Amino acid sequence: MSKVHVSTIINDDTVEFLCESEQTLLDVLRDDLRLTGSKEGCASGDCGACSVIMDGRLVCACLLLAAEAEGSTIETIEGMANGSDLHPLQQQFLDHAALQCGVCTPGFLIAAKALLDRNPDPTETEVRYWLAGNLCRCTGYDKIVRAVLDTAAETRN
Amino acid sequence: MSTHGVGASVLRKEDDRYLRGRGEFVGDIQLAGTRHVAFLRSPVAHGYLRNASIPNECRQQVFVADDLAAVAPIRAHSTLPGFKSSDQPVLASGKVRHVGELIAMCVADTRAEAEDIVDAIGVEIEELPVLSDMLAAREAGAPLVHEEWGDNVFLTTDFEQDLDPIIARAAASVTRTIRTARQSMSPLEGRGVLARWDSRLEQLVVYTSTQQPHIVRTGLSECLGIEHARIRVVAPDVGGGFGYKGILLPEEICLAWAAIKLGHPLKWLEDRRENLIASSNCREHHYTITVYGDANGKLLAIDAEATVDAGAYSSYPFSACLEAAQVVSILPGVYDLEGYRCRTYAVATNKPPILPYRGVARCGVCTALELMVDALARELAIEPTEVRFQSLIGPEQMPFNNITSKHFDSGDYPESLRQVIDTIDLDSIRSRQQRGEADGRRIGIGFAMYTEQGAHGTTVYANWGIPMVPGHEQCTARLTPDGGLELRIGAHSHGQGLETTLAQVAHEVLGIPLEQTRLIHGDTAITPYSTGTWGSRSMVMSGGAVACACDELARRVLRIGANLLQCPVEAVRLKDGAVQGAAGSIQLAEISRTWYLKPQELDTEADPAGLEVTAGYKPEQDSGTFSYATHAAVIAVDPLTGEIELLDYVIAEDGGVLVNPMIVDGQILGGLAQGIGTALFEEMVYSTDGQPQASTLSEYLLPGPTEVPDAQIIHLETPSPYTRFGVKGIGEGGCIAPPAAITNAINDALRAIGVELSVLPVTPRRIVEAVAAASDSSLGKVTT
Repeated sequence: MSKVHVSTIINDDTVEFLCESEQTLLDVLRDDLRLTGSKEGCASGDCGACSVIMDGRLVCACLLLAAEAEGSTIETIEGMANGSDLHPLQQQFLDHAALQCGVCTPGFLIAAKALLDRNPDPTETEVRYWLAGNLCRCTGYDKIVRAVLDTAAETRN
Repeated sequence: MSTHGVGASVLRKEDDRYLRGRGEFVGDIQLAGTRHVAFLRSPVAHGYLRNASIPNECRQQVFVADDLAAVAPIRAHSTLPGFKSSDQPVLASGKVRHVGELIAMCVADTRAEAEDIVDAIGVEIEELPVLSDMLAAREAGAPLVHEEWGDNVFLTTDFEQDLDPIIARAAASVTRTIRTARQSMSPLEGRGVLARWDSRLEQLVVYTSTQQPHIVRTGLSECLGIEHARIRVVAPDVGGGFGYKGILLPEEICLAWAAIKLGHPLKWLEDRRENLIASSNCREHHYTITVYGDANGKLLAIDAEATVDAGAYSSYPFSACLEAAQVVSILPGVYDLEGYRCRTYAVATNKPPILPYRGVARCGVCTALELMVDALARELAIEPTEVRFQSLIGPEQMPFNNITSKHFDSGDYPESLRQVIDTIDLDSIRSRQQRGEADGRRIGIGFAMYTEQGAHGTTVYANWGIPMVPGHEQCTARLTPDGGLELRIGAHSHGQGLETTLAQVAHEVLGIPLEQTRLIHGDTAITPYSTGTWGSRSMVMSGGAVACACDELARRVLRIGANLLQCPVEAVRLKDGAVQGAAGSIQLAEISRTWYLKPQELDTEADPAGLEVTAGYKPEQDSGTFSYATHAAVIAVDPLTGEIELLDYVIAEDGGVLVNPMIVDGQILGGLAQGIGTALFEEMVYSTDGQPQASTLSEYLLPGPTEVPDAQIIHLETPSPYTRFGVKGIGEGGCIAPPAAITNAINDALRAIGVELSVLPVTPRRIVEAVAAASDSSLGKVTT
């Protein structure tokens, strides 16, 4: 079967790729485009390690077909920092030691960015429930929650 | 304390790459020409393999047990008396013993095509009766997992003492049965293997997600029958371990064998379903336990029988003995007992082997004993904390050999309890309970205490006689010509922050800035041998090794520096990264550059040994460091719905001298989250025919951001008398006590209505059923 041609914008770059019709967006990002920051933790939408922002919405790249990305704008962890300067969320994660093994970290950062993009002043409860689609087995979450709240406060100021 | 050495909460050096999505895990590595592997796994729990029909068109892409006839099975023996060995075939032959056991390896250009081949294979299995419950394993007529044994018991261990004289003067006793669930460790990254044959070096190269690259190398060498020198194991970034990545996998052996045979790289990444149903099982204890106390609440004696469901095979290298044998030796906990009797059974069942999950045996033991402490207190109508104060080993007794000869190195256990009582404000909780809750919920408070034996070494493991007994831990430290420091260790960092903390240790000795120090680990070709990262050992063992290697480097740079300064070595000292003498000072970078690149400026006797040192380290006493903590939880429970809310959580922990308190806090909080999972959510249920009932993370419930509360951590700091800097291992402790503390809190809340829970996890269903049973019982009804 012929491959599907897909045109997207990924992290501000125009990206065209050919994919199999059954390939997930995550597979194409990781295996073909070599954007391996997004991780596969479950392949069933339960863990959030593959979180990316697509046309402003937080999505699990493991649950989308790559062909569905046609015409969309995608943000992944690779586009988050501005060159050598970390994004404020990344800096707060570093300052709070809000990561350990690093597998869930890209997904949490992307999910947190999607939250702050739409709600720059979330309550702790809102942060916790927004991040409820992401699992971390190392940190116990509290440092992540503090990092997101402090980023919001810092950005507002 | 220096601002970057031991004791400083410096930011983690390793985080930048993870924050940018640039960590390199096995799944992120691509090698040209790689083909992919999928495994045919047993769909049934117990049966004879009769026939596998492989379509002719893919016969060359499928490998079964006969193809791997020259590969030795995985065997993890223990020399403990009576231990029965199990041979775990790399691919099942003759018999399958658990759902998910490997039957065939299928190779194709993509994982999807390999999975299609798996689906095309027909396999006939003559099903046998299934042994799915550990308590049935010792019953007469139980199905036999390994027929040649004649029973299902891997190992029986005993601690015998005549308790009658103590029982005769005990004022109270309570007896309970307590059960913990089988769990799945669930690191967010599963296992993964990428294997290739390097034809230039004639060497097998295996990238694998492991905590123990050197042990995997030894295991591969033994199973494949090829010498160590022809095997290189690389553990790149590893996405959490928790013990799951501390075992040799049959999949590792399969891919290694096939990479040699086929000559091209092969990759297999464990998916979540494989992880849940076939591999990362752990825990599952059952206790029948009686405790005896005097009228004041002092714990006098414990009499217990424990069963551990070890699953179908003894996994390498820790074996099926580790969990049950440790139960016997650590059940007395933090208490000074007069009497103790315990027998444990490690039994085989038709379930995956249990593997050593963080807090191995300790979590179950702490749950059992600390629930009993509270039950005894209820029996005596006194505060559970009073039983603890009456019974704890006191600071004046340290170091202390307890009733099972565990050597507690240091600490003040009552002080940690006092600090938690004050911080959580026990009196105010009791007052609140008196007032009652407007919403009909009930409030409870629960405490739990434990010790965490870490970095235990040769003498301990030699007694168990498993395939791996740790000795001296090594570090190779090398000054580079530009004054940088390379530290090479054989242990592995997969979230613990060793790239930072070991640089802090080196800084403490040599004064080299952290940014000029690099930790190299996870590659058997370029690091010294090590049993790896497990058992809360790396900070003590690798940290000690780094310090020893840096000590020797310091001696050498002092000699070279003194030579350059033209003064006796006794007249110089090492300070702030420079050798300083009366006439001036010289930076380490200049010393290093001179030795490597300008030796003409040195006298030939300056130091011929050079600026690369390998040193070994072992604590003065290798029976282990004993961290300890008191945990306390305050919960609200709705007796109608069984819903639990964690209202407060306080931990007072003593891990000796902390190299980086910020990192330690992360270990404790992460452990707490896992302990909350053990207490309230996680349960790998098996049907009576041995079928796992959870195959996604929708069914196997892990705690998320809404289930794990903020917690207060109090640090006590009693140095270990036996280790470099006085550090103790702390990696596992956070997860040990939460199940006991939370369950005690629930039982405290429900005490007034006669409800006591003793099965983990304490789910809403279990609470509602227990409340209903107590209610029926109080009405005189018979419940079943």
